[in-house]
Amino acid sequence: MALWLILIAALVFLVASPMLRLVLASFQEPDSGRLTLANYAQAYGRMPHLRAILNSLELGTGVALLAGMFGVPIAWAISRTDMPAKGFIRLMVFGAFVIPPYLGAIGWILLAGPNAGWLNKVWMAATGAGHGILNVYSMAGLIVVVAVASFPYVFVFTNSALDLVSSEMEDAASILGAGRMRITFGVTLPLVLPAMIGGLIVSFLEAIALFGAPALIALPARFHVVSTQLWQFFEYPVRVEEAAAYAMPLLAITVLMFALQRSLLGRRGYVAVSGKGGERRMIRLGGWRWAMLGYALAVCTLSVLLPMLVLLQAAFAKAWGRGFALDNLTLANFRYILFEQTQAQHAILNTFLYAGASAFAAIALSLAIAYVVNRKLVPWSNALALLCMAPFVIPGVVLAIGFYAAYAPPPLALYGSAAIIILAFTTRFLPIAYTASAAGLRSINPEMEEAVRNLGGGRLAAIRTVLAPLLKKSLAGAWLLVFIPATRELSSAIFLVGPHTRVISVMLFDLSEEGNFEVLSALGAMLLLATIAIAALAFRVVGRDFMLRGS
Amino acid sequence: MTCVRKASRRELLSRGGALAALGIAGVLDPRRARAHDMSAREQELYAAASKEGELTWYMSHSDDVTAQALGRNFEALYPPLKANVVRTTAQVAFQRVSQEIKAGAMQVDVLSTTDIGHYVYLKEKALLDKYVPENAGKVLDIYRNYDPDGTYFVTSAGMIAIGYNTAKLREADAPKNWTGLTDPKWKDQIALGHPGFSGYVGTWVLTLRKLYGWQFFEALAGNNPQIGRSINDTVTMLNAGERLIAGTGPVGTAMSSAQKGNPLAMIYPTDGTVLIIAPSGIMKGAKHPNAARLFMEYLLSAEASQIWVDHFNESLRPEVAPPPGVTSAKDVRTIRPTADEITKGMPEVIRQWRDTFGV
Repeated sequence: MALWLILIAALVFLVASPMLRLVLASFQEPDSGRLTLANYAQAYGRMPHLRAILNSLELGTGVALLAGMFGVPIAWAISRTDMPAKGFIRLMVFGAFVIPPYLGAIGWILLAGPNAGWLNKVWMAATGAGHGILNVYSMAGLIVVVAVASFPYVFVFTNSALDLVSSEMEDAASILGAGRMRITFGVTLPLVLPAMIGGLIVSFLEAIALFGAPALIALPARFHVVSTQLWQFFEYPVRVEEAAAYAMPLLAITVLMFALQRSLLGRRGYVAVSGKGGERRMIRLGGWRWAMLGYALAVCTLSVLLPMLVLLQAAFAKAWGRGFALDNLTLANFRYILFEQTQAQHAILNTFLYAGASAFAAIALSLAIAYVVNRKLVPWSNALALLCMAPFVIPGVVLAIGFYAAYAPPPLALYGSAAIIILAFTTRFLPIAYTASAAGLRSINPEMEEAVRNLGGGRLAAIRTVLAPLLKKSLAGAWLLVFIPATRELSSAIFLVGPHTRVISVMLFDLSEEGNFEVLSALGAMLLLATIAIAALAFRVVGRDFMLRGS
Repeated sequence: MTCVRKASRRELLSRGGALAALGIAGVLDPRRARAHDMSAREQELYAAASKEGELTWYMSHSDDVTAQALGRNFEALYPPLKANVVRTTAQVAFQRVSQEIKAGAMQVDVLSTTDIGHYVYLKEKALLDKYVPENAGKVLDIYRNYDPDGTYFVTSAGMIAIGYNTAKLREADAPKNWTGLTDPKWKDQIALGHPGFSGYVGTWVLTLRKLYGWQFFEALAGNNPQIGRSINDTVTMLNAGERLIAGTGPVGTAMSSAQKGNPLAMIYPTDGTVLIIAPSGIMKGAKHPNAARLFMEYLLSAEASQIWVDHFNESLRPEVAPPPGVTSAKDVRTIRPTADEITKGMPEVIRQWRDTFGV
């Protein structure tokens, strides 16, 4: 019972309290705390505010569709066909997952700035046209930038579902005379449709919750989305209450979509996907396999190769606009960050410290809860699981506002402390940690622990000697799944950092105000390099496919 | 201070551990020998500040490079004090300060924004600490006595003119005055900052609204300018070749960039270059009050003015002159709004801007 109380207290503190505080604040007068609907009237009483909501919906829909176009064919090709170079494509998809969307956005500003972007310059040189054809500063531009960052979600969902579909039904269709196209579109893809839509929904939710990329692209493109509008409520005078009211639709949409996703994935009609598959044979694509590889490479070029190429060029350039030339090469941007900037060393250290600490905290908590839930140690254990998963439906900016409202002021007065950031990150990534821990635990039969206990060992001894060693690998994988997104987390950090607790993402955001892309790229490159190094190390420990398990 | 000496210190900083380098710089830098000519007050503050160890400075007066150079110079003058320099636009800095006030957890020691209205507001709410620096009496007359009660002081001045990319535009073809920016031939060619972020841009908007009314901005919007956040973003846009003209051209940042070899030059408009006078103040409840006071002294010192001049901003001190050939405020016709006009007008022009430009 004591354990249960501790766990529920931790979850109330991390999840329930900030969210209740947020909902409450949306109905409160700023100074007196009296109940009112005025915040809602103000938040929705202006046309630009309403337009921002529509823009967010347009962005989310566009991103989901485009991410589907990118992710589904690649997932199918890797899972079901004899397309060559699968390992490389998988690596690139992982790369797209690791690159923070705001870095991708900077890469695309360098590529598709209307006059100076590399692609536009190439176009102008090739055709003699007076100006370029691409404009990153537009809704279409933003959709592409976000879609290339979020298609890995669609890929992961679709790919893992496809891996479970056996060839038997395809064979049945084939025997009845269906062609390959007909089988793929009439049998295989419909079988994984729920998973596909699940991936699309996650992309949609990512897109509408994102803050960094829209701040870089939507402002020059002259439109707002919900997250940038929320940021504006934090201008002087800080209107937390109005922001809370304005955050409600984002929360509502997310809850709704999540419920939809659950009901789709939970549907039992698709028996083929519910168990371990039978035999699976790769479809021979013949000459088409090269076309398929071409498509996959094109997607990887848009999402990883091109943006990273121009980011690296900028990181080592005196002025990126001067192009690839020897006399334009310099290490000054790195020197500036490491030695001349008074904040960067701290920020780099903080980033990895907070991400690491949050990953440990999220996994410790979620493992304890998963254990309690899985072994049914306490009544109402499912309530714990639900609370654990709840942050999934809270966009980062909204979570940060909740944390700010609940824990920044006294009595806790955590504003500017490392604790508030670690706690917020822990909450934000708790669902990932829980999903991974629960999946790991489900795979272990309780009999082994029972053996320990029959021989006189306590529960803790059983956990230490049996569970921990068995779970080591999947926990390391889970740790990485939290650690990587935590190193780049911007939206929940932006309202919580103080001058001593700055992280790289926030520093990048501040530097981006001046558009100093050379220094930005250098700092971004260091963030990526460190993240990749840690991920590579973990690959060796847990194997390459850790990001494909769970969810 | 000569350029050579500055470069050598920078090199030292860049090599090896910053701490060790700072120690060496402290020995090598001849100005460390001036410890003996510190005034009694300065020595007292230095001793007390050394116990506090550091200070946090929210800074919007310049680009990040100049801000960090000032911070490093302060560290070199007063070891082992550390300066945490957080450079953002004025409204973002004030947003963070407002968050800290609301949460009751003051993180910043010295606030330097470019919107004088911030200080009028903070003073009214008794959120500024009163401290009259010794050096406040040693600056040029035009920078003195902005607040008779001694809660904030002008610590920086710079100009906004029209910048252009010299590789793509001849001087003869560039606009000669502000109204020239509304000429339709500059459609899709102008870069601007945003008054909702940059205090420089906000002040510029106020000044031009006073000169030409809001119609000027409606006409300007017709030219579809690229709108960034910081005023310094316009320099990036010119360097990249994304735009030809910086409608809000920050002289300091642009000339520093030109010095590095970028194809940039300024036009000082015939209808007046906008002069920005930007204050600093110590926050009430600051965690490092003595370091903050010492830092205020520093911002008004000849050393700081030298750094400002090196980065093509104005010198506050009569004994520090800009290098020959560099245009400073006394060489051109400058215009600027009064502190009162800024305090009242800033929130209003930000609203108007959002209505006209959409963001």
